[in-house]
Amino acid sequence: MTNLSPFDIQARPNRLLAQALSAVLFVVCIGLYMQTSIARHRENPEDRVVPSGHQLLAGVRSAVLEPAEEDDYIAPDNASTWERLRHSMIWKDTASSGKRFFISLGLLIPFVVLAVHIGLFPWFGAGFLRFFLFFDKIVALSLLPILFIAFGIDEWSKIALIVIGVAPTMILDVTQMVKAVPQEQIVKAFTLDANNFDVAYRVVFRQVMPQVINSLRLNLKPMMLFLFAGEMIAASDGLAYRIAIMRRHMGMDVILPYVLWVALLLFLIDFSLRTINRRLHPWFQA
Amino acid sequence: MVSSMSTPEITAGLPLFGEERAVRAVAEVEAQAAKSISIEDVSVSYALGRAARRSVLENISLEIEEGEFVVLLGETGCGKSTLLRMLLGQERPTEGTISVAGSKVERVDARSGYVPQRYSLFPDRTVLDNLMMGPLTSNYHILGRLRPSFWGARRAVREEAFRQLAHMGLQASDAGKYPHQLSGGMQQRVAIAQALMMKNRVLLMDEAFSALDPSTRGSLQRLLRSVWSETRPTVVFVTHNTAEALFLGTRVIVLARESKDDACGSRVALDMKLAEGGMTLRSHGQEFLDLVEHIEAVSNGGRLTDLSGRRTALDRCGEDSGLAGRVGVFHEVGETR
Repeated sequence: MTNLSPFDIQARPNRLLAQALSAVLFVVCIGLYMQTSIARHRENPEDRVVPSGHQLLAGVRSAVLEPAEEDDYIAPDNASTWERLRHSMIWKDTASSGKRFFISLGLLIPFVVLAVHIGLFPWFGAGFLRFFLFFDKIVALSLLPILFIAFGIDEWSKIALIVIGVAPTMILDVTQMVKAVPQEQIVKAFTLDANNFDVAYRVVFRQVMPQVINSLRLNLKPMMLFLFAGEMIAASDGLAYRIAIMRRHMGMDVILPYVLWVALLLFLIDFSLRTINRRLHPWFQA
Repeated sequence: MVSSMSTPEITAGLPLFGEERAVRAVAEVEAQAAKSISIEDVSVSYALGRAARRSVLENISLEIEEGEFVVLLGETGCGKSTLLRMLLGQERPTEGTISVAGSKVERVDARSGYVPQRYSLFPDRTVLDNLMMGPLTSNYHILGRLRPSFWGARRAVREEAFRQLAHMGLQASDAGKYPHQLSGGMQQRVAIAQALMMKNRVLLMDEAFSALDPSTRGSLQRLLRSVWSETRPTVVFVTHNTAEALFLGTRVIVLARESKDDACGSRVALDMKLAEGGMTLRSHGQEFLDLVEHIEAVSNGGRLTDLSGRRTALDRCGEDSGLAGRVGVFHEVGETR
């Protein structure tokens, strides 16, 4: 018999019940929103603070199928949905933000490699570890003005902000992972005639790789946060830029879909990384 | 390797009038090769705060001949694993020198095979990849895999890996499994095979069977003994199990402290060669029990509390080696304490 006490650690809710419980908070949020929206629209049918379902749908349609205000593009009447989507506001913003995001992601790779060296090679540890321990405590957003001065207000300042914001934490994280690889494994590898680089890349790096991916998954949100900070202050396109612009116009019908779109994108990236991790490292799940 | 050199090879570069010198050189090389491991006056201590030091090992000197199966015994914390780590090159002695296969040990290298108690296999590699890793890494380092000869060598190593797998009593179907899919005993079988793939003449094993259940442990002990009998590598096996030591070893070395004082490190309390090796309670009955009692007394500081009116094992194994003479199973090389 299913134990229904929520304070029973040993309770085993069945699958259906567990799924229903998972859905409850989503339903409550949607319900509260709808109720608030209806109440506000009853007082003011033109209310834009809590848009109704229709307003949201219209906002999504304009974001997905219409170009941004600043664009000169005018879709011909017979343009296909795909054509409209390719020139749409959300596509443009997603592509701009995505480019910044993925370039930053790529730039983090050398730092991960450096972290493996810091954790493994004593000379690297002596040279870099304290510096990154200190650097990690610097609030990255406080460097934003310096970055704007150094890199200008174009792409590189935003990319630099993401890398500077996330890299020290990732370096320290990966260094800890490397140090946690059992010493027996390293000794064993040397007895199998591995040289230093064999040990670093074919023993240690391979073993910490799934954890590095997990660390990256945890850092997705901070990365997006730094990207948003940069875009909100100085950008001419991007998801955060659009949200900032729409705030001026009280365009909640666009802001809300954008917020959900960003969350969905992050969820998909996270899901992809998790799937890749599971496929590439089946031994890690055990 | 030094030991594989023939006399003409060694004397080739020497002038004719130096025949005597050549003969001496050959004798030295042979003597060095025969001494597979040489531990000379080794002491290890660690700093405890500013002034104090904790001594772990004190003046250890041992010569281990090629093909010996040496078991290091002792209480927990007596320094036997420390000594093994120094043989590996993982730690350096505070004083003294250690040589393996004729050269001083200064860092971990491929001179010795190694089987630890835990983490003996690489978790991210299948059993087959674990077995193949040594020989492939040895010949093809990180960029060497781009060489065309790699794939041919890989095939040969793969065949050898399957042979070793069968030799260890494992199925070919286990080759594709990851270490976490194997039992503890199977993992240690693979770990032994992995070390044997390198064809080292020295094998160092640190409590390799300690985490296993008695039955698995027994079967692995038999396997290890049969593997050793076939190829006769020099084995140094660390354990705290006296029965295991008597079954496996041809030489049992007991490390023990004289007092609990930090300044007092472990010494070789007993160094005993077993004439036959492979002693068990079933095969040697009371003699086995006497020996266990004796060894445990020595490792506990040489004090037997329950004498029950009998002469102690220590007494029996005293100066006249009475027990050795009586049962003809072992003789003591020396009791240094």
